[in-house]
Amino acid sequence: MNLIAGIDVTAGALDAQKTRLDIVAQNIANAQTTRTPQGGPYQRQVVSFESELLKRIGNGPPLETVRVASITPDRSPGQQVYNPQHPDAGPDGMVTMPNVNLAFEMVDLITASRAYEANLSVVKNARQMAMTALEIGK
Amino acid sequence: MIDPIFQTDNYQLARKLLDVTVLRQQAIASNIANSDTPGYHRLDIAPDFAAQLKARLADGDGAKSIDSLQPQLAQDPNARTVRPDGNNVELGSELVAMDKNTVDFNFLSQVVTYDLKQMKMAITGQVV
Amino acid sequence: MSPLGSINPLSASPLTQIDTQLPKIGAGLPTTQGPAPTESFGQMLDGLVSNVEAKDVNAQDLTRQVLLGKNDQLHQSVIAMQEASVAFSMMIQVRNKLVESYQELMRMQV
Repeated sequence: MNLIAGIDVTAGALDAQKTRLDIVAQNIANAQTTRTPQGGPYQRQVVSFESELLKRIGNGPPLETVRVASITPDRSPGQQVYNPQHPDAGPDGMVTMPNVNLAFEMVDLITASRAYEANLSVVKNARQMAMTALEIGK
Repeated sequence: MIDPIFQTDNYQLARKLLDVTVLRQQAIASNIANSDTPGYHRLDIAPDFAAQLKARLADGDGAKSIDSLQPQLAQDPNARTVRPDGNNVELGSELVAMDKNTVDFNFLSQVVTYDLKQMKMAITGQVV
Repeated sequence: MSPLGSINPLSASPLTQIDTQLPKIGAGLPTTQGPAPTESFGQMLDGLVSNVEAKDVNAQDLTRQVLLGKNDQLHQSVIAMQEASVAFSMMIQVRNKLVESYQELMRMQV
């Protein structure tokens, strides 16, 4: 039974945007991490979305929800900083920093949380519509 | 014998338009959910629905003929994009469309409620 | 002067129109030789019913305009519907009271 129209589409999007927020948080947290279990500096993670077929109404285009397609590391090289005192410095005194750019991450953070809020207000509106529908005839 | 009670034009029209608002709510939900999906094109009610509705109303046999009309979703042919990923969803205008749609829905449900109430009052002879 | 100052909320009420057509039962009582009524009770009821009918038609009209997108004055339609609804309840109450008093008369011991 699905009493609230379109809520299943939104649920997928909320999950996906939440994952994106988590990954942004992880990137920001590891902006200075130069040693990881895999070895080498932390690599920025990138979330990509794909649409998932949900249902088709009549013979129009199908309704699609969103899911996280993959979380892939960003392969671009990290910045080289000269810091011979650093425990992870190479023989030439250069340290490879993670390829996290805080400005990019902040933009991503804002975009993701705006999208999350938009989806939340869809839920709110859909709920209100369902409540109104229950009042029909009263 | 009972059917003609529910055949007033406005009642039938409001009922059909309620179907449309529920469908549009789903389309908007899908648009907002996919606002970051590359290559997604925004959905809306197929534009020929309004035309068909007007045509059937103009024919004059009103209520009965509206009933068989089914609204459909279609990709919005008027939406343009400047985004490199080919996605043409504008989050702001979707949110505005959703609010408008909710008001439409509330109004339509009030129209339906009004008609049902009048009918109930007339039948029972009691103020409800 | 404010343009709103001239609006009398009572005269704008949907009830006053119906009210003017209702029998002033108390008014005719003290003098038994009152002026002859200008319209019969039946005519007056007829007036009430057609008044309510007109309100309903008006409400349907306004609502249709909004439904078809020819008018975006949502409040006009909602107000017209509520007015028609109130007028209708009024009519039903008048009818109920009439039937009640008729039955009361029938029960009376002669």
